[in-house]
Amino acid sequence: MDQETRIAWLVDHSQRPRFKGSLPDADARVPGGNPGCGDLITMYVKAAPGEDRIEAVRFEGTGCTLSQAAASILAVQMNKEQPTFAEVLEFSYEEMLDLLGRGIATSRPQCATLALGTLKGAVKIVKMNRELRAAGYTDAEIVRVRERSGKAPSVT
Amino acid sequence: MTATVAPVADIADRGYAHPEVLVSTQWVADHLKDPNVRILESDEDVLLYETGHIPGAVKIDWVVDLNDPLTRDYIDASRFQRLLRSKGISDNTTIVLYGDKNNWWATYAFWVFKLFGVKNVRLLDGGRLRWADEGRELVTQVPRYPDGNITVSGRDDRSQRAFRDQVLEHVNNAKRLVDVRSPEEYRGERLHMPEYPNEGALRGGHVPGARSIPWGRAVNPETHTFRPAAELRTIYEAENGLQKNDDVIVYCRIGERSSHTWFALTYLLGFEKVRNYDGSWTEWGNLVRAPVEKP
Repeated sequence: MDQETRIAWLVDHSQRPRFKGSLPDADARVPGGNPGCGDLITMYVKAAPGEDRIEAVRFEGTGCTLSQAAASILAVQMNKEQPTFAEVLEFSYEEMLDLLGRGIATSRPQCATLALGTLKGAVKIVKMNRELRAAGYTDAEIVRVRERSGKAPSVT
Repeated sequence: MTATVAPVADIADRGYAHPEVLVSTQWVADHLKDPNVRILESDEDVLLYETGHIPGAVKIDWVVDLNDPLTRDYIDASRFQRLLRSKGISDNTTIVLYGDKNNWWATYAFWVFKLFGVKNVRLLDGGRLRWADEGRELVTQVPRYPDGNITVSGRDDRSQRAFRDQVLEHVNNAKRLVDVRSPEEYRGERLHMPEYPNEGALRGGHVPGARSIPWGRAVNPETHTFRPAAELRTIYEAENGLQKNDDVIVYCRIGERSSHTWFALTYLLGFEKVRNYDGSWTEWGNLVRAPVEKP
């Protein structure tokens, strides 16, 4: 993809974002970003029942063109590939820059990787919650555990 | 066709020390086809220019174009000259900068241009937001200009750029320091931004003795333009005790917001010695044994 086409692709994802909106039955809802800067992303993740795999991803957010385009492009990939939790956590920031195109993304790496970092946070919560439930914790106890550990209660 | 927005007083009537460095949206509209005027857009949003820009404007990016790719510094004079020439800028060109975020990155570019001694550079008052709010045209067509012939002789950081040792001297000599970050950052409540580790710091607070004057106070939030000089004097002089002949250093997190205050103090109020510390909190808040103050 040449630079001009890539820019048009990114701008299109920003202006017509895919998978944007809440996911009412999500297993995790995680906000990320920097209110001072203006880039905000909330990631919704629904896991496949009985499998350590993503079933659906949606996002909400506001901010710069690149941060919102990156969230849309990432959501498309996640919904298409439905990767395992391990694959999401192994998906590196460098690979995200490659996906978006280094010519643009490397000049604003924080904007380019905000969605991925937030998605990883959501996947970790889903994973941890499943482990806690397997250990016998109720959902109410999980919320209390997360509050005590200083983690936001992102169970929905 | 322009939209109805909150009116602003003429720049010439606002009492600024150097009103010639500011131009209005109407001035820009009147000079869109002027071959001796080059309009440059400088944004935080790396793709905002591509979504639409002032007709005839070209893009300048603070990371790609102005920063040295290896060292935390700016490009050298020869590369800067090549950059400006590639934008079609000659010695007789009037350069007009504008951008998003209330002109943060436009004033940052303005400040960098001044380090290189560029004389004929101006700022669009109200920036991109004012232009858009007025319903003025934004286009996606990227213009091409023949190379210009501007000569850049060198870069002189001494009068307008501060480094950490000079900040420490200011602390030790109780000279004027202005922290333009948010009150939360000043108080050390916000150490680093989530997912923004490159702009984080290991310690929170502010440089001892610095006054907290958030950058946005210089701007009228309804019009996005600079406040008149009388209001600026109230903020900086009456409320915070700064004086025109003070030796002032301004800082923020990486130097962009403080370039906005540097601009207001230097050009709008006519302060004689204001330097921007671009190392700012990303340097100071990580510096071993640097003194830090918290309320």
